[in-house]
Amino acid sequence: MTGRPRLRWSAVLLAVLAVGWSYPVAWTLINAIRSTADIYRAPWDVPWPPAVGNLGEAWDRAQLGVALGNSLYVTVLTVALVLALSVTGAYSLTRLRPPRRALLFTLVLAPLIIPMEVLIVPVFSMFRALGLINSLPGLALYNVVGTVSFATVIFTGYFRTIPQDVIDAARVDGAGRVDVLLRIVIPLARPGILAVAVVVAVLTWNDFGGSLVLIQEPDAFTVQLALSQFSTFYATDQGLTFAGMAIAIVPPLLLFVVLQRSFIQGLAAAAVRR
Amino acid sequence: MVLGNRAGHRAPRRSRREGAIDLLFLLPTLLILAGFLLYPLVYGIVLSVHDSRGFEPGRFVGLDHYARAILGDAVFHRSLLNTLLFTGVAVVLQTGLGLFLAVLVADVKRGRTSLQLVFFAPFVLASVAVGAVWKFLYAPFLGVVATVGSALGLETRTFAPLADADTALWAIMVAFLWRFSGFTMVVYLAAIRALPREYYEHAVLEGAGRLQQFRRVTWPLLWPQTFTLVLLTSLGTLRIFDMVWIMTAGGPAHATETVITNVYATAFRFLDVGYAQAMAMVLLVVILLITVVEYRILNRRAETVSS
Repeated sequence: MTGRPRLRWSAVLLAVLAVGWSYPVAWTLINAIRSTADIYRAPWDVPWPPAVGNLGEAWDRAQLGVALGNSLYVTVLTVALVLALSVTGAYSLTRLRPPRRALLFTLVLAPLIIPMEVLIVPVFSMFRALGLINSLPGLALYNVVGTVSFATVIFTGYFRTIPQDVIDAARVDGAGRVDVLLRIVIPLARPGILAVAVVVAVLTWNDFGGSLVLIQEPDAFTVQLALSQFSTFYATDQGLTFAGMAIAIVPPLLLFVVLQRSFIQGLAAAAVRR
Repeated sequence: MVLGNRAGHRAPRRSRREGAIDLLFLLPTLLILAGFLLYPLVYGIVLSVHDSRGFEPGRFVGLDHYARAILGDAVFHRSLLNTLLFTGVAVVLQTGLGLFLAVLVADVKRGRTSLQLVFFAPFVLASVAVGAVWKFLYAPFLGVVATVGSALGLETRTFAPLADADTALWAIMVAFLWRFSGFTMVVYLAAIRALPREYYEHAVLEGAGRLQQFRRVTWPLLWPQTFTLVLLTSLGTLRIFDMVWIMTAGGPAHATETVITNVYATAFRFLDVGYAQAMAMVLLVVILLITVVEYRILNRRAETVSS
């Protein structure tokens, strides 16, 4: 259908675009092992000998070990809470009947257009009163509020595709709601659950605004806060900054490459399902 | 709604008590949203009509903060204008670029997965990392703009796009598009690959060229995706904070100030908390208005397409 010359034209264009698209990441990874002096003097040369010391120094100075631990904690807690809330919530929404359901669905949906950024000032004030500043569970809670609606909406869509007959049959056999949820609904929706978990994990791991406001103690810094220190405090040591960026870029990239299929499919399905 | 009818057929009649138990499963979510979204929303309104003492409401000032923001604050006007401008341009360019990439990648026979990976990968990177990397790409002397430009014989060695009030916002836009166009592409790509081949075969039989095929088949059939993506993109950019904060912190001279960077600086740097929240509430109203208008326009179009 597509003529051969046209295909070649678009292939060339795509190749050029792909190279351009990967350039920023490749450049960061290469500069991570280039000394600061070389970044200025010879930005196009092969970084040889590699300044591997950059990586260790960046790790130590920004306390990246602590920060990675904190981020991991917040992310795991957020994902667990969001899944627990949204799976049960969506199950409830698919079972409720019309007048009530429409109202509740709208209630759950509303936060999608009220961004947490708009509420950051009252949230800060409230968290301070509750003693949740510098608290990692507090930060997780903030992230839960920001993502639980999205997850619930996606699951409601997934659960609706499960035939009610299957559920009714199980109920007749004496299975309770929790049994149905655990034995039928969750296994059937597993691909969707995995995709939502990955999306929520990425959003939480990458959150900057929330942690910037809610976390002030360096001991409780997330990766993003630790990283943001580089551009403010170590701005003159570029080699070090690139090393910090590289350390931060690699884990999500690897995770993404491994989970690419479920991630992309889940996201594409999520965006289309209305 | 479709949702209602379907369930009405399927679900056997259940008792009131059963329904109440079902509702119980939703209760934790509703409580969390009530406590950490609804309450801050109401408290935010309270803060916005008071002068602040620390982060608590102080003297009641009525709508003074709103009047000050809307009538007399040039920085707020600038930040709102920047936010709207950024949103408008990002919606058009991100949708266009994503669709362009999707159409190109859809025709590729081998290596589609790797291409998808390359274009989508920036989406999973944190805004802090993306912002810092692009700051370097734009840096004078060592950045790609400086070095490539001067290699081509241009006077760009000392040019700093992020430090120039005329170019800073657009420099951030490029980084933003780099990060998010892959997402748009992925959504479109999934939809394009699900389109029935017969439509194209039919179009070809009628003598349609590739451009015609796109205009007559691809574009109208992708309307549901365009609908969702336009809403998602504008909801994402109206609240934009982190990339701007990392790259320019709103500068130079407020050239890249967005409403949220302005709110953040006003509340947490200048401690003018009530005023900051009033500006945030104005943004919320703007977001609601824009979303409703977009929804109306896009939905009308969607109905004419499907009929």
